[in-house]
Order: sequence, then C-alpha cells, then structure tokens
Amino acid sequence: MAVLSATSRRDLEIRRYPSLVYGLVPLAALVLQAWLPRVLGRFAWFDLPLVVTVYFALGRRSPIQGTFMGASMGLFEDALSHHAIGVNGIAKTVAGFLAASVGVRIDVENFTVRLLLIFLLSILASVIYVFVTRFLLGMELEWNWFTELFKAIGNSVIALLTFPLLDRLQIRD
Amino acid sequence: MESFFARYRNLVVLLAVLLAQIIGLAVQVRRIGDGRGTLDPGDGPGVRLIRLWANALVSPAERSIHGSKLGVGELWQNYLDLRHVREQNQDMQKTIDRLRLEQASMLEDARQGQRLQGLIGFQEKYIYKTLAAQAYGSSGSEQSRVFYIDKGKNEGLDRDMAVITPDGIVGKVRDVFEHSAQILAINDPTSGAGVILETTRIRGILRGNVAGQPEIVGILADNRIQPGEKVLTAGGDQIFPRGLPVGLVDKVIRDPERDGFIIIVVKPAAHLERLDEVLVVTSTEPRFSPEDQHEIATSETLKGPEAAAIRDEQVREQQAREQQKASEIMAEHLPGLIDPNLPPDQQPLHDSSNPNPVTNPPKALHPDRFTPGTADGATGTDSATPQDQTAKATPAAKTPSSGPSRNGQTTTPRRNP
Repeated sequence: MAVLSATSRRDLEIRRYPSLVYGLVPLAALVLQAWLPRVLGRFAWFDLPLVVTVYFALGRRSPIQGTFMGASMGLFEDALSHHAIGVNGIAKTVAGFLAASVGVRIDVENFTVRLLLIFLLSILASVIYVFVTRFLLGMELEWNWFTELFKAIGNSVIALLTFPLLDRLQIRD
Repeated sequence: MESFFARYRNLVVLLAVLLAQIIGLAVQVRRIGDGRGTLDPGDGPGVRLIRLWANALVSPAERSIHGSKLGVGELWQNYLDLRHVREQNQDMQKTIDRLRLEQASMLEDARQGQRLQGLIGFQEKYIYKTLAAQAYGSSGSEQSRVFYIDKGKNEGLDRDMAVITPDGIVGKVRDVFEHSAQILAINDPTSGAGVILETTRIRGILRGNVAGQPEIVGILADNRIQPGEKVLTAGGDQIFPRGLPVGLVDKVIRDPERDGFIIIVVKPAAHLERLDEVLVVTSTEPRFSPEDQHEIATSETLKGPEAAAIRDEQVREQQAREQQKASEIMAEHLPGLIDPNLPPDQQPLHDSSNPNPVTNPPKALHPDRFTPGTADGATGTDSATPQDQTAKATPAAKTPSSGPSRNGQTTTPRRNP
C-alpha cells in the first residue's frame, strides 16, 4: 500500500500555473496599485501586491518562492515611491515567507482561513513597515492605524473576489 | 555544515534576502545631527537603476490604461461638447475680448511695477514657459504622495521644477526619466513650499500631513488667522514663483508638539486627488517673456484706445468722488456753507465752476443795524461779493476793520452815526 510521505503529499497539493500567469498577474497588481489610487483617491484601501504575494505563496507552498516573490513585489512598490527602497520589500518578504510556511502546515483551501491569513499578514506587513522606518532607519513617519486596519479589511475583500478567479488559472491534471 | 544549510534552507534564504535589503537601506539613509535618519535627496546609481526599471515596467501599462480611460471619456465628452460648442465659442470670444481689455489696461501698471522692482533691486520671477503634461499614475502608497506625468527629460523637464494647474500649485518634479517624471505633491509630508497668508502676510512652510492635507507649520499663534483666508506662494523657495494660489485656510489647530505654535490646515486650490492635466513651469524669468510681451502688444493694439477711454472715465469718476468727499468734509466742518433752501445736488459747494461759492448767512437771532438786509445795515448786498457777505455775517465782521478783499476791493463796514 502506497503511503504518501509529507513531502510527496505537499507536492501533490502544490498549485501550478502557466508561466504567463506568474509574469502578468504580479505586473497587473503593480500597475493597478499605482493607477487605482488616482481614480479612487483616499479610499484606495488595499495592497494588491501583498494580496498576490500571499496568494502565490499559499498556492506554491514554497517559503523560498514566497520570500522572493514578496521581496520583488515590495522592492518594485518602493521603487515607484520616493521613499527608501527596501522598506516594503522587507515587509512583503516576511509576509510571503510566513504565508508559504503556513500553507505547508494547514489547509489553505478553506476560504475563511485564507481571508483570516490575508488580514493578519496585512496587519503584520504594516507593523514591519512602521518598525523598519521608525526604529531601524530612525526616520519620521506619520501613521494612521485606522487606515491600515481598513487596508487589511480591503485586502480581505479583494482576496474574496480575486482568489476564486486566480484559482481558475491553475493547471489541473 | 551542508546538512545545516539543507535543513534550514528556507530560513537561511529568508535571512539572506532580509540582510541584503537592510544593507541596501543602510546605503540610502544617513543619520543627521539629532540622530534621526534622512533619505538622500539624490538617489545613488544603484537605487536610481531600480527606480528606472520599475518605471519602465509599470509606466507603459499604466499609460495605456489611463489612455484607454481617457479615450472612452473623451469620446463621450466630445459628443456632449459638440452640442454646446457654438454657445461656448461665443462666450469664450466675449471672455477673450474682456481679458484683452483688462490686459491692455493693466499693461501700464505692470510696466510701472517692473520699473519699481528694478529700482528697489527686487526681481520677482514670472512664469516664462510651461509645458502641459498628463498625470497618469501614483506610487500606490499612502505614505508616498507622488504621481507620474507623461513628460520627461526628452521634453526638457528637470528636477525641482514647479508643477501647477490653473487652480493652484500641485507640487514639484522629484525625479526625471526619459519620457516620464515623478512629481512630489504638496500634500506629502516630505514636501515643502514657502507660503504666505494673503491678508495677514504671515509666512510659513507648507507640507502634507498624514491625512493627505497640506498644512502650514512653524507659525506662532495669531488670532487674526481665520478660516477662508487665501494662501499664496511666497516665492522664497526658488521653486514656485511668487503669488500663485495655494488654497484657503481650512482650520487652525494647536501644534501638539510645540507650545505657542499653531498648525494651519489648508484646503488646496488644486484638486490633488483628481489631477489629469498639469503644467510644469520649465522656466522662470524676472521679466515678461517675449510671448507675453507679444500677447500684451496684441491686446494693446486691439483694445488700447478702448482701454484708454475706460481708464480716462475711471480717472474722472475718481476725481468726482474725491471732490464729493472733500465737499462732504467741508460741509461737516463748516455747516454755515450749506444752503438749507437748496437741494443737496445744487449746493454751491458742488459747483466746481465757481471758485467763490455764494452762501447766505444764517439769520441773526437779534437783528441790529449791522445785520445784513436791514434798512440801516450793510447796503448793496446785491453787488457785494460773497466774501463781503460772509464777513458781514460773521462776528469778526462786526469789528470795525478795513482791508482788501480777495478780489482786490476794499470793503469798509458802514456805520450809522
């Protein structure tokens, strides 16, 4: 009787996507993150690069891939701003790593778990952003926690809508 | 050792990536005097390269989306516009005529202003040349209120150029790429612009707050500052020309960090959240540009005589007002010069043709022989000059005296023996 080891079980559950999806979806997230605030103004309470990072980290279940995905998305976000490059990079690197690490251990097919994860990781990314800016770099930063809370809720809502759509793009055996 | 890396591979990779980013941050940020960190205003070559890549990756797609949105919007807008274009043309023609008239009449004032500025050695910067650009993207972060425009180095843009709209100032060019530029908006906490309150003439520095509203900081508490007062650029920051609208005072709050200081929250004149087209001030000069001078000359040619006629009329009106005011003051101080029998507009005071206005002296309470008009009093009142009449009416005139009158005649009060 064939018994699946932990590694092979994980391999079976790893989601795979066409190469184009790996390129276009993060790019679309970056472009929309830069463009939508011009349309929505101050109500742009979301972080699409974080949502995409968490989605792929959960689906791929590889902490290394999650780390690199988060780092690259964060660095590109920083590069589009006028702030130091690396603050968002560090925050999203940690978020991507943790999402993938959690994805290995628990069932992330459950939608509630996904939403809860994205909410918590959004808050964590905000905390890391403040920590790095204020304490590591010693820079002044004006901050509003309500905005971050709204952003975390916004990320959860967007995840609720986009995760099922992105699930359709995966390669099924 | 190999097994250690194999076992903790994920963690090692995470730490390596984090460490690389922390080192990268350490290169970009330096400590300043009070121990705080600050970002170098000019990016290093490596940082600039990353920004360039990010811009090259995101900008084309962003511009396409923005262009599509504008295309659809314009299609609909064009249809709506065409329905009213004739009326709008007529209105605009009237506006142009009026503006030309105003420009022609302001020309002399402007020249005089420039001469005076030359005399006192102060040269105010005038906007010399602007470049219209389309705003299409943002940083996507609340902490970084920057946006991108579709003009860059190839179009002649450079760092620290002022970005404005017809409504008011918007920000300054922070970074320039080949075909795009990054604009730092005035509501970003790291921005700074010298501003002045129009009425109270209080100066301060404008920057953004966490809510994305511009505010003026570093001002001592002053009761004169009221909501609704206009805020203008002060011109001392070498970026924004002087006198451009910034916004209105929204509210005045106490500075929580410094006693005795206040923070003035400003409602920006430009719609910072919904910018589509902006103007980049590519050059400022201390004199009118040739284009402006040509425009002024055109206005002067077309509307010069009309403006001169209006100016003359205004001068006449002002003179009449001044004369009226002088008459009122005189009447107030010399009530005896008012004839109660005449209507106000026919008072001799208002008669500018007669330098010696005729006035009737008030009737004496106890007439005597010196009282004018009595049988034994002064005779020949009809032929007497007004001064004579006045002199006779005043108590001083009762004193026997003689002397030349203003018209050279000698008057001597008659006395009955």
